[in-house]
Amino acid sequence: MVRAEAWRRLRLVSMLNLEGTTIPGGELALGNRGEGFVDRRHPHTYMHELILSADDLLGASDGSARLSISAGKGFAPFGTDDPMIRPFLRFPVNHHLSQILERAVAIAAVRTQPVAVELGVFNGDEPERPGEWPRIGGRFGDSWAGRVTVYPARGVELQGSHADVHSPEHRPGAGTDQGKWSLSARWSRPIGGQPVYGMVEWSRTSEARGFFVFHSLLAEGAWSRGRHRLQYRFERTERPEEERISNFRSLRPHLENSILGTTRWTVHTAGYEVDLLQTGRFRLRPLLELSYGQIRSVGGGLFDVETLYGHDHVWSMSVGLRVGAGMPMHRMGRYGSMDEADMSHHHDMGVE
Amino acid sequence: MKRYLWLLAGALACGGGSGDSTGPGPPAGQFRVLAGGNNVANRYSSDLWVHGSYAYTGTWGGVFRGGNAGNVLNIWSLGAAGAPALVDSIVVDGIGTVSDVQVSEDGKVLVFGAERGAAAGLLVYDLTDPRRPMFLDSATVETGIHTTTIGEIAGRRYVFAARNPADPALLIYDITDPGSLNLVASVPIPPDYGIHDTYVRDGLAFVFAWNTGVIIFDVGNGIGSGSPASPVEVGRLVTADDAAGDGPSAHNGWWFHNPVTGEKRYLFVGQEGPGVIGTRSSGDIHVVDVSDLGNPREVAFFHLDGAGTHNFWMDESRQILYAAYYNGGVVALDVSGTLSGDLSSRLIARLTPGGAGNTYMWGVQLAGGSLYATDMVSGLWQIEAVTR
Repeated sequence: MVRAEAWRRLRLVSMLNLEGTTIPGGELALGNRGEGFVDRRHPHTYMHELILSADDLLGASDGSARLSISAGKGFAPFGTDDPMIRPFLRFPVNHHLSQILERAVAIAAVRTQPVAVELGVFNGDEPERPGEWPRIGGRFGDSWAGRVTVYPARGVELQGSHADVHSPEHRPGAGTDQGKWSLSARWSRPIGGQPVYGMVEWSRTSEARGFFVFHSLLAEGAWSRGRHRLQYRFERTERPEEERISNFRSLRPHLENSILGTTRWTVHTAGYEVDLLQTGRFRLRPLLELSYGQIRSVGGGLFDVETLYGHDHVWSMSVGLRVGAGMPMHRMGRYGSMDEADMSHHHDMGVE
Repeated sequence: MKRYLWLLAGALACGGGSGDSTGPGPPAGQFRVLAGGNNVANRYSSDLWVHGSYAYTGTWGGVFRGGNAGNVLNIWSLGAAGAPALVDSIVVDGIGTVSDVQVSEDGKVLVFGAERGAAAGLLVYDLTDPRRPMFLDSATVETGIHTTTIGEIAGRRYVFAARNPADPALLIYDITDPGSLNLVASVPIPPDYGIHDTYVRDGLAFVFAWNTGVIIFDVGNGIGSGSPASPVEVGRLVTADDAAGDGPSAHNGWWFHNPVTGEKRYLFVGQEGPGVIGTRSSGDIHVVDVSDLGNPREVAFFHLDGAGTHNFWMDESRQILYAAYYNGGVVALDVSGTLSGDLSSRLIARLTPGGAGNTYMWGVQLAGGSLYATDMVSGLWQIEAVTR
């Protein structure tokens, strides 16, 4: 990650992601889907973020408000925080219902104390490989998103957003469009002197003029005491079941717009992390996560859960070690006047 | 899918046409199941072709059924009354779907397209013994062949094949010597989901190219100096996208030669909208006036609530269009006279032979006075054709 600032108002943020090297075939992940992967989390593109922002363009003339313009490659102003900067190691099923990432974006944002408004345009197509860049010619500006964030109290956010995304699953642009909604409430402040994080979100993606509709409801929280952190997430998310060309890959590019069915994933995830070592900016945190998911077919179709998985439920356990060093991670997807450069005050969120 | 006729459909059907060239007669008639159904339990079925006293149906493997891929061609004997009885199957290693089936008009050659697997492509069989097709030759196409259409042009036999994305193309093979396939042309099709089907008649090839619409090639007609080895585009049209989500999704078609009026005016285009395979579907029938091939224009449509169309067949002498309609079953439309606007009043009959939850109709063919229908879920049906 690189941050550079100039003339007080210009800021460059970049984030490299090497998952294309470390997990080129994706990471086994309960219920995950996106960018042609299924039941595995996809590797992100190498250049995850590269955003240039001009912040507080009007200076003092607009009072305490801050107007900014940002452009580059990153997140569209839609939905909730990327799972990478939330407490859990495992990505939720709803990643592609609740975030829009790795796009060429241009975003205008106005932030005041009680409310912030972001409006952005971007290219609708998702990447298909880690080395890909957004398609700008013919695609940039074919999609848009807007997000309103309200700050009723310190450490509390309410968010509502909408996006119209053109042909996200077909890069040349012949695929179906998506209309997306997201509502969330987020808490990130201590209770009783102990850091507490909580988030509840609802999202809905309507595709092909409403022929397909997928919902998600997610609630998660983390509570820290001393070196220890406990966390829990509940999620109920629907996802399309597409034809697969192998166990973990869907057919791309598409030939038509039919799916085999829809599954509803109800997933409970509990986790524990502990600070094993923390010296300055260096940090080691072992972690353990356990997930249990139930899978149901909803709305018909030929897809059969038990034929594919052998059961209607799945267990997953993750054991890992977080290694943090150097500068703190910024809040991905928030640019210009929305930027939160230092997430260390969210250390209870476990960002490394 | 393909469907072409070199002989009038009247040779296959019984009775005469309505003779109404000015407007439709009152809708009448109904379907009735004669035989078949629930007869392919181990795989999902795909396309069909009927020739003489045999029928051939493919299998689909977008998802396995009973642990089985769609790597089988089923061979059916049609009894004296036309009832289908499964008599044999060909298992093809290295494929996952038999995507389209056709028999040459003289009954000597069977071709089918194959998808999903190392051996995907075009396969050709000898039908000297129609009960036991014998492999002759194949052309491997890595991304698969979605449909195959036989065309007889200037004394030679060709297969017009639809190559799947990512590099979609109309492939034209000379199969005059069926033991030695010869690729004579490869015409790139825009990758807006590419080419799905071709209808070949009178030296014209109508290519149904999803969101690119319909492209008309001269492949021997003479109006554009084209040939199978050098197709020449003579017209194109993007059909309406008003019924189904996001795009015209032009999938298949039939160029109607009306023996009653002598007109060759209408091209019926199937729109394959979004679907949940086995349960829900969408997409209309679009009617295109191709009187001026260089300037085709859409003039009418047929919409069925809650279902979308797939492959067609026509009883041209009776001026009836049969359409497979996935979860909507089989539909018969009166297409006599002038076609304009909403054709919902032209619906003659509809049938879901397998019943709700057991019907997802892929294709239909009129043969020997019966309508044969292949259903992905419930197999091959013999249905009494509509008369009016």
